[in-house]
Amino acid sequence: MSLVRIALAGEGGQGVQAIAEILAEAAYHEGKQTIYIPNFGIEQRGGVSIAFLQVSDQKIGAPKFYKADVIIALSERAVARTAMYSDENTLFVHDSGFDPSPEDLPPVSKQVLGLPAIEIANTKLHTKVFNIIIMGAVIGLTNVVTFESAREALEHKLASKFENDPRLRELNMQALEIGKKMAEESLWEGVEHNA
Amino acid sequence: MEKIIGETKKAFITGNEAVAWAALAAGADSMFGYPITPQNEVMHYWTRISPQYSRSFLQTEDEISAGFTVCGAVQSGKKSFTATAGPGNVLMQEPFGMAEAMRLPLVAIIQQRGGPSSGTVIYSQQEVTLTAYGGNGEGHRIVYSTSTHQEIYDYTIKAFNTAWKYRFPVFVLGDGYQAKMREPLEMYDPEDKGIEMITPYPLIGLGGKIGVDREPAHFCNIYSMEEELYDVVMQFEQDYEAMSRDVIEYREFFCEDADIIILAHGVVSRAAEDAVLILRDMGIKAGFFRPITLRPFPGQQLRDMLSQVKPQKILVAESAMGQFAKLVKNEIYGENIPLETLFKPGMGIIDHDIVEKVRSIF
Repeated sequence: MSLVRIALAGEGGQGVQAIAEILAEAAYHEGKQTIYIPNFGIEQRGGVSIAFLQVSDQKIGAPKFYKADVIIALSERAVARTAMYSDENTLFVHDSGFDPSPEDLPPVSKQVLGLPAIEIANTKLHTKVFNIIIMGAVIGLTNVVTFESAREALEHKLASKFENDPRLRELNMQALEIGKKMAEESLWEGVEHNA
Repeated sequence: MEKIIGETKKAFITGNEAVAWAALAAGADSMFGYPITPQNEVMHYWTRISPQYSRSFLQTEDEISAGFTVCGAVQSGKKSFTATAGPGNVLMQEPFGMAEAMRLPLVAIIQQRGGPSSGTVIYSQQEVTLTAYGGNGEGHRIVYSTSTHQEIYDYTIKAFNTAWKYRFPVFVLGDGYQAKMREPLEMYDPEDKGIEMITPYPLIGLGGKIGVDREPAHFCNIYSMEEELYDVVMQFEQDYEAMSRDVIEYREFFCEDADIIILAHGVVSRAAEDAVLILRDMGIKAGFFRPITLRPFPGQQLRDMLSQVKPQKILVAESAMGQFAKLVKNEIYGENIPLETLFKPGMGIIDHDIVEKVRSIF
């Protein structure tokens, strides 16, 4: 696998750092090279939080990158904040719960994709697994780790919570699967659209 | 010495966590610190894991106090360290200066953030001058500039031995990227790698009768006469020069036939190494020289390489406005090679930046 660069951005508290960390753990356990670096401002709460994740079969150099292969922006501010990491090879994904204003969207990208992650979390699952849907979507979009190792990493990360409430395991695993499917289907639709 | 890691193992952790484990494995007795991003997690991990091994921690009222408390602890024979960044590093210069003056085996981890002032909490290489030459002295310090988590681990362990062997304050100079990012490394107990850790020893409160059984233990940071101070500082300089041969570390990469030599340190070296490979693929003969010790600087080694290779140009790349370049220029004064620069104060540098810069000047 050649180098995959992913930027995940959302409002502080949406959980992008948590899922970047779990994805990085999963990649590490698959024997891949990986670097995860959080970008954090000075806010204690709120503000746009960005996670930079790189996964590769080869040793990774600089921890930061300028242009991502995939960007997922989960709020309007996150769209504006991450547009600069997009170029003609970038798949730019935002939540379809909002319509990003054209001046916020990146001037260049390979494709802009809206995913109804917030809606599905709110109506079908639970608001607190919103980020896990996104984690599933990252896998659906990039295959950066296998679904199985993502499940294992999630299990490991949330072990104590799952122990206290086994229903949470079901909910999280469902979210992961729904996210993955949603992303895969959107990609197909996108292809049809482009054709 | 107490085994901390047990069987050598791979880990996937942040640089700050690597510091805490390395300090434990190196036998550090205590940490004194004051919170500042991006080094906070050094303290957090230390406070979480050190009590299991009966090591101690004290959060002092500020960085000045944290630094002085380390100065006190090491005099009592305890391996101690601190960690700080940015404005905290500024405040710690007074105790760091005392450690120079009294030749104390102080160890400090610096995770550089953006400046001036509070700057950013993220990343920079703008604490080079401060860490290498801060304070009102002559920079009689040892500064290791790391580039990977493995190096953070290795050089944190090494820092304690260097400090207790040569009795100059020792710094592990990291940055916010290295502090916060996660990447794989191997953790080990030093003796499993054949590293013998120096047992700390008290510097004061020694037994025996002064003048009969032993010389007085005299740790002085103020003198009455200028001649006295002069003699002391000159002795430090002599000791510093003498140990430099053994302490200096550097890395060369594809220098032998290079037309352009890229100079970088710390985390930027990662981008520089990748850039060399990309440039070579393009047919540009690039090489890379990296001082691992910024103090003492591998000046002679750099000069020797340059006079042998005779590159057409040198490029200095750093995430600061020339702090590292000043060290370089100082060491190669008299060499007649055009020197180009890529300065991005407080900003990360990636391979692409260096490749583009080289192509623009070549």
